[in-house]
Amino acid sequence: MIYTKKRPPFAAMAVLCALALVCALASCAPREKRAALFLYTTNDPFISAFAEQIRALSTGKFSLQAFDADNSQIIQNEQIEAAIKRRPDLMIINPVDRLGMYPIINKLKQEGIPVVFFNREPLLEDLALWDRVYYVGARAEQSSQIQASLVMELFGNDPRALNRHDRNGDGRIQAIILKGEQGHQDAEIRTAEAIRSFQEGGYSLDVLTIEIADWNRDIAYAKMEGILDAFQDRMELVLSNNDAMALGAIQRMKERGIFRDNNGNGRIDGGDSSWIPVVGIDGLDDAVLQIQAGYLYGTVVNDSISQSRAIVALSERILERADADLSDLPLEGGKYIWVEYKRFTLD
Amino acid sequence: MLLVTSATYSYVFSVRADALVERQSRELNKQIVLNYENYINSVIETANSIQAASLNLDVTREYGRLQEVYRFNAEIKKDVVAVILLRDSGELVLGSVADIGAGSPVDEIWFKTALQKREIFYFSAPHMNSITAQRKEEVISVSKAVEYSENGVKKVGVLLIELNFRTIGGLADKMNLGVGGHILIVNDDDSIVYSSLPQYGRIPSESMAITKQRYFGGFKAKIAHNEMYVNINTLSHTRWRIVSVTNIDDIAKTKRQMVALSVFIFLLSLAGAASVDYLISIRISRPLNQLQETITSIESGNFLTKAKTSGQKEVVLLAKSFNNMIDEIRSLMDRVVAEQRDKRKTELRALQNQINPHFLYNTLDSIVWLAENQRTRDVITTVIALARFFRISISKGEIFIPVRDEIEHISNYLTIQKIRYINRFEYVIEIDEGILDLKVMKLMLQPIVENAIYHGIGDESEIITIRGYRDGAFLVFEVENTGYGLTEDKIREIYEGLKGDGNKGVGIRNVYQRLKIYYGEEADIRIKSVLDERTTVSLLIPLEARAEREW
Repeated sequence: MIYTKKRPPFAAMAVLCALALVCALASCAPREKRAALFLYTTNDPFISAFAEQIRALSTGKFSLQAFDADNSQIIQNEQIEAAIKRRPDLMIINPVDRLGMYPIINKLKQEGIPVVFFNREPLLEDLALWDRVYYVGARAEQSSQIQASLVMELFGNDPRALNRHDRNGDGRIQAIILKGEQGHQDAEIRTAEAIRSFQEGGYSLDVLTIEIADWNRDIAYAKMEGILDAFQDRMELVLSNNDAMALGAIQRMKERGIFRDNNGNGRIDGGDSSWIPVVGIDGLDDAVLQIQAGYLYGTVVNDSISQSRAIVALSERILERADADLSDLPLEGGKYIWVEYKRFTLD
Repeated sequence: MLLVTSATYSYVFSVRADALVERQSRELNKQIVLNYENYINSVIETANSIQAASLNLDVTREYGRLQEVYRFNAEIKKDVVAVILLRDSGELVLGSVADIGAGSPVDEIWFKTALQKREIFYFSAPHMNSITAQRKEEVISVSKAVEYSENGVKKVGVLLIELNFRTIGGLADKMNLGVGGHILIVNDDDSIVYSSLPQYGRIPSESMAITKQRYFGGFKAKIAHNEMYVNINTLSHTRWRIVSVTNIDDIAKTKRQMVALSVFIFLLSLAGAASVDYLISIRISRPLNQLQETITSIESGNFLTKAKTSGQKEVVLLAKSFNNMIDEIRSLMDRVVAEQRDKRKTELRALQNQINPHFLYNTLDSIVWLAENQRTRDVITTVIALARFFRISISKGEIFIPVRDEIEHISNYLTIQKIRYINRFEYVIEIDEGILDLKVMKLMLQPIVENAIYHGIGDESEIITIRGYRDGAFLVFEVENTGYGLTEDKIREIYEGLKGDGNKGVGIRNVYQRLKIYYGEEADIRIKSVLDERTTVSLLIPLEARAEREW
C-alpha cells in the first residue's frame, strides 16, 4: 500500500463544505418538541378515541409517542420509567391508579419534565408537589348535577308542583338507580351527587333501590328484570351512572311493554302514560340514536373533544418555554383546566 | 480463533447476564406487587361487597340483615379479624363484634384519614392496637368513609376492616431475594409500613434513603457492601410503594465463574489441540522422519538398515513396502555379487586347471633327449613324476588338497625340471609335520617355484628352498632361491603387477588373486630380497578363513 498526499479535488471539497453548512444549520434549528402520551388502556373506546383526538390536534405542533398500560399501573410505571430515559419534553398521563401518581410526580420534578394528567384525577396533595403539574378533565360531580337537572326540567322545574311525570301525584319522585362498579370513584360520586342534587333542588327523591350493574349493558338488562318485578308499578325514573346500563334497562323495559308507539310513526313520544324517563351519562352513539327514537330521555356528554383541545393547547404553551405565562388559560389554582359536561336531549 | 470465541462468549454472557439480572429482579418485584395487589383487591372487594349488600338496607329497620352481612364477610375470609361500621362520632353502629372496648377511635389515624379522604381506602401500618380483637395480635386497619341510612336518614360513617398482619407479611416471605435481600412497604410519607427484615436495622435505612431519593423504578445500588437491584413500584388502590431489594452479587459471582469457566475451556481446548498435534507427530511425522533417515542411510550404502514398522497405519504400510523394496534390492545385489564371484571362480578354476603347454612340450622334449642318451632311469623318473604331477593337478576336480599332496606335486615338478635343467640347481623342502594334513588351495606353489627356477638359473650353485610352517594364525609357505636378488623397484613393480591386469607375471598374479578370493583379504604374498644373495616369496594363508569356507 502506498500512501500519497493528494489534494482533494475541488468539487469534493465544495460538496463537503455544503454538507457541513447544512448540518450546522440543521443542528441550530429548534428541535421538534417531544411529548409522551400514557393511556390506562386502549381497550376503553372512550380513551382510544380521546387519544386519537389528542394525536390529531397535536400534529404539526409537537411529536407524540403513545403507550398503552393495559390497565396495569405496574406496566405504566415501567413505561414512564423507560420514557424518562429518552428525555421527552412533556408527559401526558392518563393514570391507571390515581393514588399511585405521587412517586411519578416526584420523579418528574427531579428530572424537570412537566406533566399533564387527564381523565383520572390524581389527589390534590400529589398535584401540589410541583408547580409544573396540571390536570385537564371534567368534574365527576358535574355529570350527575346536569343529569339531575335534566330530570328536574322534565318534571316541571318546580319541586312543589311536579307535572304528569309524577305518575302517582304524591309530589315525590320514585327512582331506581343503576350504579357502576361498587367502589369505583365515578360510580360513588355520580350516585351520591345525583341524590344530593335533588335534595339541594328541593325535590323529594325516593330511591326505591340502588342496583350495581358494573357499568355493563348486559348486567343492567339482567338486573332490570327483578327491579321491574318489584317496582314497575311504582317507579317514575331510572337514573343510570352511564349510558350502557341505561340502554340495557331500556331493552328490558321495552320487553315489558313500557315503551309504546301509539301513533305508529316509528317514534316513541313521551306523551304515552306508560313512558318512564331513563337518563344516562357519556353520550355514546347508541345513546344518541335511542334518544332520537324517543326511548332514552337524555344523557350527559363527557366532552373529550373539548378536553383534547385543552390538553393540546396547554401542552403547546408548556413546551414553548419553561416559564411561559399561562395566565390567559382557564387554569384554576394554576393546575386545573375544567371542561364542562354537556347535556344531550331532543330539545 | 479459540481466544476470540471464548472472549466473545464471555462478553455476550456478561451483557446477557446483566439484562437477565434486571429482568429477573423486575419480574420478582412485579410478582410481589401483584401478590399484594391481589390481596388489597380482595380486601377492597370485601368492603365493596359489604357496601353493595347494605346499599338498600337501613341500620335500624334492617339491623338483623345488616348484622348478618357484616358477620358473614368477617368470617368468609380467614385473615379478616373484624368488620364494623362506626358513626362519625366513633361509636359502633354494628359489625362482627359486639363492642369495641373502652377507648374511642376518633383520634386514630385510620379513623381521621377515612373521613378526610372519603373516596379512598386507608391502609394503616401493622399495629397492636386492635380495637376489636379478643386476643392481642398485630393487625392492619383498612378504613373507608361510607354512607348508611339510619331510620331513613343518610349518614356518613367509617367502615373498618381489621386484617391479620401475618397474611400480608407472608406474601413476601416466599420470595428468594438472596443474601441481604429484603422487601419494604413504604407509605406516601416515607414511613415504613412493613419490612421483611426482622428488625429495622442498618440495611432498611440505606434502602430507605435510596427510596426517598429515587421515588420509583428499577436500578442497581450498593447496599451493605452488596451489589443489589432495587425496584420500587406503587401498589394500586393504596398510597403504598413496594420496595424489593435483590442481591445480585450471586449473579455477579456466577458471571465471574462463567468467565473463569470459559478461560478454563479455552485452556482445555488449547491443551487438547496440543495433544492432538503431539499425537499426529508421534503417529505420523516421527515415523515418516525415521523412514527418511532410513532412506538416507540406505542411500549411503547401508542396505542392512530396516525401516521401523510402527505408528499410524499408513506409515506402517509405507515402511513395509519400503522394507520389501529394500529386501528385493538387497537380494538382487547379493545375486549380482554371487554371480560375479561365481564367474570369477570359474575363470580361476580354468586358470588353475590350465597346463602350461610349454611345460609339457619341454618335459616331453627332455624325455626324448634322455631316451636318446640311454638314460633310461631318468626317463622313468621323469615320466613317473609327470604322471603324478598331472594326477595331482587334476585331483578329481578338488580345489583344496592336503599340504602333503601339494608338496608331492611340487616335488614332481622339481624332479622334472631338475632333470631338464641337468641339475643346474638343488632344492630343499622343509615342511612341518603338523601341517601336512591341512588342506590348502592346490597348485599355488608351482607358479612361484617356476619363477624361482627361471630367475635363479645361471648361478651354478642355485638352491631352491621350500618351507612350510605355521606362524600364529597363518600357514606360511616360503619359496627361496639364491641368486642376484631383486631391487626395491623391481619388487614394487611385481606388487603392482599382482593387482593389475598386465601380461607380466601371469602365474604369480593368478596365485595372488586365487588366494584373495578363497581366503579373503588377509591372505597375502610377500616378497623379500637381499641383492646378490637370495629372494624369498612367502604365501600367507589365514587358518581361520580356511575353516569357514565350504567349497
